[in-house]
Amino acid sequence: MGRQLAMVMDLNKCIGCQTCTIACKRLWTRDEGMEYMWWNTVNTQPGRGTPRDWEQSGGGFRKGVPKPGALPTRREFGDAWEYNHDEVFFGEKGPKAHLQVKGEKPDWGPNWDEDQGDGDYPNSYYFYLPRICNHCTHPACLEACPRKAIEKNAENGIVTVNEDRCRGYRFCMEACPYKKIYFNETKKVSQKCIFCFPRIEQGVANACARQCPGRVRFVGYRDDENAPIYKLVEKWKVAVPLHPEYETEPNVFYVPPIAPPRYDENGDIDESSPRIPEEYLVSLFGPPVIEALATLHDEMAKARDGQKSELMDLLIAYKWKEMFGGFDKDPATIEWVKS
Amino acid sequence: MQVDFVGDAGIDVLLDADHRVWGQHPTTSVPLLGTPVGMQPTAAIQVAWMNKKIGTVDHVDVAALHNGREIAFRLEWSAATESSDVSDNNSFPDAAAIALPVSPDAPIITMGAPGQPVNAWYWRADEPQGARQLSAEGLGTSLTFDQRVIQGRGSWKQGRWRVVLARALRVESESPVAELIPGTATGFGVAIWDGANGERGGIKAFSGNWLPLELQAASGERNA
Ligand code: SF4
Repeated sequence: MGRQLAMVMDLNKCIGCQTCTIACKRLWTRDEGMEYMWWNTVNTQPGRGTPRDWEQSGGGFRKGVPKPGALPTRREFGDAWEYNHDEVFFGEKGPKAHLQVKGEKPDWGPNWDEDQGDGDYPNSYYFYLPRICNHCTHPACLEACPRKAIEKNAENGIVTVNEDRCRGYRFCMEACPYKKIYFNETKKVSQKCIFCFPRIEQGVANACARQCPGRVRFVGYRDDENAPIYKLVEKWKVAVPLHPEYETEPNVFYVPPIAPPRYDENGDIDESSPRIPEEYLVSLFGPPVIEALATLHDEMAKARDGQKSELMDLLIAYKWKEMFGGFDKDPATIEWVKS
Repeated sequence: MQVDFVGDAGIDVLLDADHRVWGQHPTTSVPLLGTPVGMQPTAAIQVAWMNKKIGTVDHVDVAALHNGREIAFRLEWSAATESSDVSDNNSFPDAAAIALPVSPDAPIITMGAPGQPVNAWYWRADEPQGARQLSAEGLGTSLTFDQRVIQGRGSWKQGRWRVVLARALRVESESPVAELIPGTATGFGVAIWDGANGERGGIKAFSGNWLPLELQAASGERNA
């Protein structure tokens, strides 16, 4: 087996700014038929996500056997709303015309339940969960396709759709438990995150990672022992995959979020239980998240005591470019070839 | 099934599914079966269709004519709803195809085999004024080639699709194309996809083994 590229996202640093989402949108999903696509999404957790209720939509495997999955509609993805710009700007209606979504009133969007979260004041909680395709080791999409139109690159593990082979059957879309495959109704093919392979090939990190102001995203090969991915995933074991029970073996990993402490009824700090319930984090990341949280707490305590912590230094990412596992070339150096 | 020779019918006449020439020649009712779930090429498709009906269209009325230059098949079947768009992720178009052997021993059940291609003419309701030509050498291997060689027309009226698929009798192509020579016999197969039932790819109703196809000699005389 070849090498595998991976991403680690530190959920303690994500501010939900969507810069990653827009970086991806501007680079890859501006053509016709891609309007509703967001290969990168950032949703508030707990929440219903994008597409709506994707965590309950099936797909993936159970004990190695594929699990049937849903085909989310465009409305469930949030669709691409069209506005009455013509009416407002050129309709000569003055203040009587207001900016509105055309057609049926939307009841969902790609970031509809932003900042709602859960829990009661003053102990309410939420965090942001950025998601891309997980470029899985055991990709349900690839295995579902009857035409072998989905390929996993032998050298870097990036999973892509071969649009020449794809016939738009959407078996992949049903099979992906993360619902990160989109159907392009204009080209009539499935499309998805390409892990910015044309950048990667030229030594430049993914747009979502490079543009992130929060220094949330680490990029690199999983087996590169001197780089942050290996250290966070294998050595410190503080980065865990989302929904490992889907059995696709994701190659995107998350450093779980630690919220500020709770308040008790007297308004005093209550550290007896975390603000974000552990059960909730276990439901997202599986039981290994408990160990990961314990390690993070230990190392945070060390750093507070003035001791050196390799882990904290890594997560703080003092040297921005070291987050990119060697893919640290300036995007301005890319030679784009139009095909 | 006999492909009658209609020397004075031009291609426009043949492509008109409602033209009276079609009514003047016999139509064959071809029974269809759903493709077996165990034959679907991936485990995910098998699991998804384990308890679902595959192949809701149980027969298709087929007629075929040639004018010495072109050959046309007319397919007619009942479809309660017209599924002709792919405007949402869960909508699939109705579709139809004719399969023809390129090599005489090509297996139709598996859509050919390595070295034994099957040639298919494929029409779908979201592109009703056209058709594609495919060749396959086994399940999931179909490749589209020589766009424009196959002509297609389809329309839905009162719960029925009428689709015509036509081609020149003689085509020159590097790709595997079925030979259709007046005065000789070959085989054919039909498949129908019910878009409203989520049918696409190998999820379809099909006619089973090759059915006989005899092309009347261009003189209008019966084959010997
Ligand atoms: S991952 Fe980075 S760019 Fe994306 S929302 Fe979080 S902080 Fe912003």
